[in-house]
Amino acid sequence: MKIKVKGIGLTKFGELWDKSLLDLALEASIDAIKDSGINKSKIDAVFVGNMLTGKIAGQDHLGPVITSSLGLNAASFRIEGACASGGLAVHLAVQGILAGTYKNILVVGAEKMTDASSNQITWALMGASSSKERKAGLTFPALYALMTQAHMQKYGTTRKQLAQVSVKNHYHASLNKKAQYPYEITTEKVLNSNLISYPITLFDSSPITDGAGAIMLSAETDSKGVFITGSAVASDTIDLSERASLTELKATQIASKKALEQAGVGIKDIKVCEVHDCFTIAEVMAMEDLGVCPAGAGGKFIEKGNTRLNGKCPINTSGGLKACGHPVGATGVKQIIEITEQLRKSAGQRQVKDADIGLTQNVGGTGATVVVHVLQNL
Amino acid sequence: MSSPVTVWRNHKNLRNYLGKKAAVLVWTKIYIAPEGFEHEAPYFVAIVKLEDGRKMPLQMVECEEKDLTPNRKVTLVVRKLGKVGLDKVIEYGVKAKPRS
Repeated sequence: MKIKVKGIGLTKFGELWDKSLLDLALEASIDAIKDSGINKSKIDAVFVGNMLTGKIAGQDHLGPVITSSLGLNAASFRIEGACASGGLAVHLAVQGILAGTYKNILVVGAEKMTDASSNQITWALMGASSSKERKAGLTFPALYALMTQAHMQKYGTTRKQLAQVSVKNHYHASLNKKAQYPYEITTEKVLNSNLISYPITLFDSSPITDGAGAIMLSAETDSKGVFITGSAVASDTIDLSERASLTELKATQIASKKALEQAGVGIKDIKVCEVHDCFTIAEVMAMEDLGVCPAGAGGKFIEKGNTRLNGKCPINTSGGLKACGHPVGATGVKQIIEITEQLRKSAGQRQVKDADIGLTQNVGGTGATVVVHVLQNL
Repeated sequence: MSSPVTVWRNHKNLRNYLGKKAAVLVWTKIYIAPEGFEHEAPYFVAIVKLEDGRKMPLQMVECEEKDLTPNRKVTLVVRKLGKVGLDKVIEYGVKAKPRS
């Protein structure tokens, strides 16, 4: 598999009150088209990753909302897979090119969350859970709190170790002008912030964010650049309680194995990762499920600084979902953009030395959908 | 909350859970609740394992933090779920209560 990432565009992430969903999607799209050098008349299709707009703004049918604003009559699709909507849109675009149906596809991930109240957002996000979980009064922080408790019970992982995920990601975000929270925080700040759902605090959690990202994918293979060389999706039970284990995401294990095999590389070859740290425990489990460290060793691995910029395996150099922000439908696309920047060596102060192969992991719900991509500079 | 017809359909299944015995696997205390549950916060939710091996997430009732240890034995009971909706239909569901 060799699908070229020919152009990228990313808006600032944050509480962007003066911008609508369409403003954000167009800003990212126009930047990606410009960066690709492709005339927009050559775009065959537009794939839009979005989760919440139908629910909180009453706007469905997002494909043509975006294509028409770009002045295109290209095929257009809206793809929904909870917080993995962006990654799924990228995966489906890759399939569209591999099938030979399209040559150039613009993938847009966009979400406008801050127009709704936090109660509305909490309710809307719970659409990605099971009805049993909703009836029990669970929320996503609570579901990840249950996984945190299970990890602590089984492996002795501590809250202090988990807090290092937030501290490290805020440090990375401090080097990223597009990040929602571009400043550093301390371990004490994480541990002493308000409890959302024990043991998860506010600073263990990713925020509510507006933002958009866009990438131009192309069938062109005759010039050098950044290519997607592995793309896989796996699923698991929608209900967390039905899984054999609460301390791992089986879908991450399956999707990453497939994507790495497609790319012909191993996890040890990966120089930089963007993983789905919606809550601190999620990054720890991602490292373990991807094989970056053994099962149960994630807490100690991050405590030693291995995943910090210039560490053994830098993770979430963008600042991750925690500090760069988490506009849910855009996150999977933003991850591809960050890895592309790293492989192009254009990541500025947060550049990982010798980054030539990178990986992204995008999760929907509590791991009912997981998308993994491998990117290489070839 | 659910529509009246959904409530009617769901209520038919409650008898299958009533009085069943289970054990707590993991639990959390929810401080920021979703719509319909705000008036109950903070409250406890646990994943419990029934004697037949099935696992499910349940809100805990008549319970304090000291009751929530791994493997704590609970009984399944029927209680009102969340707030009464605009259509005034009261929805009941399964919750778990520590066994004395």
